[in-house]
Amino acid sequence: MEKSLPSPTTQNPFSAFIKNNRGVLITILCLLLLPFALALVDGQPISSVLANDPGQSKFYQGLAIEIFILAIFALSYDLLFGITGLLSFGHAMFFGVGAYLTGIMLKSFGWGILPILCLVFVAGVIMALLFSVVLPRVKGITFALVTLGLAQVFYIVIQSRELADYAGAEIGLQGVTPPDFLNPISQRLRVYYLGLVVLFLVYFFYKRFVDSPTGHVCVAIRENEDRATMLGFNTFYFKLVALIISAITAALAGAMHGLFSPIIRPGIASSHYTIAALLMVLMGGIGTLDGALIGAATFRLLSFWLEKWFGGASQVIIGLVYILLVLFLPYGIVGTWRSRQLQIKQGWSNLISRFTGKRESV
Amino acid sequence: MNTLLGSFRKNRNLWITLIALLIVFVLAIRGLTDQEAVGGERYKNVVITILRGFSTGSIIFLVASGFSIIFGLMNVLNMAHGALFMIGAYVGWTVAVRPDTAVDAFTPIALLTGGFMLVPIWDRLLDKREWLSRSAHIWPWLGLILTLVVLVFTLPKYPITSWDVGSYEISPVNFAFAASQGILEVPEAEQFVGISPAIGLGGIILGGILAGITVAGFVINRRPATAGASEAEPFPWNSLIYCLALIALGLLVHFFNTSISNYLLSLDTTWLFILAILVAVLTGAALGILIETTMIRRLYETHFYVLMLTLGVNAIIIEIVRTIWGAPEFTMHRPSIFAGVGDGCPAESFAAMMEYKCATIRVLGGRVRTYNELFIPVLGIVVLIAVWILLQRTRLGMIVRAGVQDSEMVEALGINVQRVFTTVFALGVGLAALGGVIGAPSTGLTTTLGDSLLINMLVALSIGGLTSFPGAAAGGLIVGLLQQFIIKYGQIGINIPFMEEPFKPTPPLVPAMTVLLMVIILLVMPQGLFGRKE
Amino acid sequence: MDNNILLKVEDIHTFIGQFHILQGVSVEVPKGTIVALLGRNGAGKTTTLKSILGLTPPTRGQVVFDGKQIQGLRSYDIATMGIGFVPEHRAIFRDLSVLENLRIAERQKGDLEKKEDFIFSLFPDLKRLIKLPGTNLSGGQQQMLAVARALVPENKLLLIDEPSEGLAPVIIEQMMEAIRQLSAETTVLLVEQNFTVASQLAQDYIIIEEGHSVKSGVMADLVNDPETIHRYLEAA
Repeated sequence: MEKSLPSPTTQNPFSAFIKNNRGVLITILCLLLLPFALALVDGQPISSVLANDPGQSKFYQGLAIEIFILAIFALSYDLLFGITGLLSFGHAMFFGVGAYLTGIMLKSFGWGILPILCLVFVAGVIMALLFSVVLPRVKGITFALVTLGLAQVFYIVIQSRELADYAGAEIGLQGVTPPDFLNPISQRLRVYYLGLVVLFLVYFFYKRFVDSPTGHVCVAIRENEDRATMLGFNTFYFKLVALIISAITAALAGAMHGLFSPIIRPGIASSHYTIAALLMVLMGGIGTLDGALIGAATFRLLSFWLEKWFGGASQVIIGLVYILLVLFLPYGIVGTWRSRQLQIKQGWSNLISRFTGKRESV
Repeated sequence: MNTLLGSFRKNRNLWITLIALLIVFVLAIRGLTDQEAVGGERYKNVVITILRGFSTGSIIFLVASGFSIIFGLMNVLNMAHGALFMIGAYVGWTVAVRPDTAVDAFTPIALLTGGFMLVPIWDRLLDKREWLSRSAHIWPWLGLILTLVVLVFTLPKYPITSWDVGSYEISPVNFAFAASQGILEVPEAEQFVGISPAIGLGGIILGGILAGITVAGFVINRRPATAGASEAEPFPWNSLIYCLALIALGLLVHFFNTSISNYLLSLDTTWLFILAILVAVLTGAALGILIETTMIRRLYETHFYVLMLTLGVNAIIIEIVRTIWGAPEFTMHRPSIFAGVGDGCPAESFAAMMEYKCATIRVLGGRVRTYNELFIPVLGIVVLIAVWILLQRTRLGMIVRAGVQDSEMVEALGINVQRVFTTVFALGVGLAALGGVIGAPSTGLTTTLGDSLLINMLVALSIGGLTSFPGAAAGGLIVGLLQQFIIKYGQIGINIPFMEEPFKPTPPLVPAMTVLLMVIILLVMPQGLFGRKE
Repeated sequence: MDNNILLKVEDIHTFIGQFHILQGVSVEVPKGTIVALLGRNGAGKTTTLKSILGLTPPTRGQVVFDGKQIQGLRSYDIATMGIGFVPEHRAIFRDLSVLENLRIAERQKGDLEKKEDFIFSLFPDLKRLIKLPGTNLSGGQQQMLAVARALVPENKLLLIDEPSEGLAPVIIEQMMEAIRQLSAETTVLLVEQNFTVASQLAQDYIIIEEGHSVKSGVMADLVNDPETIHRYLEAA
């Protein structure tokens, strides 16, 4: 497959990277400064932020870490569903396995962080292989149902009495103590920056993947699998690669969740959590990657504020938002922005031409 | 003989799968037979387990059949189907246990719907009005705001004597318990407080009418300008008749509220149960029409978004149920003809069961619950036959079968496919609600009811074939039997060679085995047992 | 308004998704004739038929049928005004029996009984197969059924899409004969790739290329105009 690259011969790769990712880099910069900016708004001295003293800044750092984790989770779902077109209803299982493995290994077996991460990695691959058993034969909605079934089994097993000593049954896994240097309470700022780094590492890796030849085939599979097959690609391998990457990423997000949150609830492995990922991706814009980040942030902040203002009724409102989103903003925030970009640019140039009398070409 | 062989060759995978399933089934039966017992009593466990499997399968089938017809015809994967099943259960419970609340709730619903019925008339009157079209993008929104204001001020004021999720004495849990013991006492009927009844009732009617105008406004705005020729149709007088009839009925129920409530409360539970079934099915169908016409219809072309949409509806319904009926689990009592425990029970014969209205009947030495294990499977079979006749012998069924293949062509023949879609959606949701109310006395009522059933149903349909009606029945039956057999083996254990202790499957193995079966069958037959190859 | 024109399509534009398929198609079908819609694969012939029926509603232009504007109406309303559709690929309903395939086209009870004799005189085979499910029919039988289905209600106009596609020559002969006979009662707008078939059946023709109607006239002229045939109809 030949593709025409806008080869920037005059620029060095570094400045090209800066130019192509201006928005993302600005976002990263803002996020780097966020803890201190919040402290300034709150009238807290910078030193107390560095010392992880309680305050508004620390609280919002916590919220931001949750958003980072959700964003990684949403990214992994976007790769699977938005880029490759594999609709899975079992994605929460990857997340849940990551979280529970981390929690159980820390609490009951006293493993260190690195072995646990390796284990989570391996578990991600194994789960992807498990899901992929049906992949060559089953397509579309049936694949979604198979994944739903598999994930549901994990969700029920993790709540069972037989595993209560390890996984804590319906209540969830409590009392996991992460190592001191990653303690989300005493080392919040460090965890915040770590989360940020991991998120954008994943993000840039995903961007690279989508732009790679393999990524292009994945998009081709989403658009029309038969055509991709006819072009001579063994679509199964490409889907498998996407599935494995996605599963590892989701399990990594789960592991971060297991380290960060005080209690690992079985709900994170339920189909509702998959739907939450779907909602985040949908909010941001399916298949856009940027959308997954924006969607995750919007989703978490929205549910945070709604819960604050409406309490129990917030779930109904989130459901309503969901329906309205599907009905009126099906391409999500990023998708709509991109499709309107031309119009917006046109609008600006019209405005400018009105003053200058010249018409800029868009 | 030749045709048999031919059919075997053509559907080799199907036959092999079916034979394998049969062998597993026979082995499972052998494992359950009690070798030490004499005569028929050997098969005590087998019969009970199979009946329970039929019962579970019937409920799954009731929900799955509607789901699969909807999916086949409109390509809508209605993920809210489980939640609507749950609505059926809760509405049925309300009618059966607290008929007074149901009577109270009827009036505002009837008044609102009555006002809403006028939409076609407003559509006709307001379409193509010069003075309106100039502000076409404003006035429906004004109407919406006005509607909300009127309804916010009047609707909550309407006195509905219900329960309080917060306090145990008057919680649904307690009422459910009292009803099952036959000592139910309902709270005294509430009255309008703060506003006069005339204003309250009038406000609700006005709210309904305003809502109708609003909807008509949005409909008119969405219609392409080129469309015309609606003048050719006769003026929609019948919607005016429906409106007046509903409002009159609502008011009638309001003024005779107490006597109707008292009459219903004095009724035998069997009659109340029949009423509960009717109300639940009608509620389900009405909700189906509402969901289809307001939301799903707009998105037919984009199947994925419909899926998303129904997921949202699912979440909302679950939250609404949790708000109204509360999260704790409660029960629904069985109708009196299946609840007798006194003289002559457990019944020794079928005739005795009918005579003494027994809750249990003795079959081969085992006690079989008449409601759970006899009534539900029989009802499942009745519905199976009824739907089959509907599909094969009526014009609607013919259109549905044709539409499953090519709904565009059906429309090109001059058939209003849109109306067929709405009808089928209402029917499917009605069936789900029927499943809900029928299943409620055996499964109890929780807010997770819908989700767990949805998953069982999806597994059953994957096994049977997503759009196949026989597949829905077979899949439901297979899932039901499998689950019940594993549960039974969990009680008595399986003797595995070379192991000292019998192996007892733990509860998590029930869904695990079901899903495992689904994966195996899908690997052999990706379309399911009776699904059509694309 | 010319009373003799049954269907008049004026400069319609149709989008499918984001693709601008029809970019100005005009068609006139006089009463009692067979008009052939010609053009290469993908020129927009089928879309023209579907746009007339409202299955892919045109965004611009107008469609006048029997003196009434029909663009923007729902397909079933358009169909009930008296337009029958025979889609390409012999789209009969496979799960329905032959009888049911005919019954479903009834707009009023008893339509089939009225037209039964005529239909079975055109396609005697169908009478024999009446109980069979649609799947068991051969390609030619399916095509006959598809045409017969459009004949069940009283239609003033038939839109027939590629009736000869993939059929054996003998069956094509039979099909052409049937179309000739039925055109005595109804007007026909015919889409046909096979120029021989089209030229023998139709009196008038319209050529569509890349979403535009580019040429129309009397079929007899076209047959003697190899240049036009070469330019618009032969494989590029």
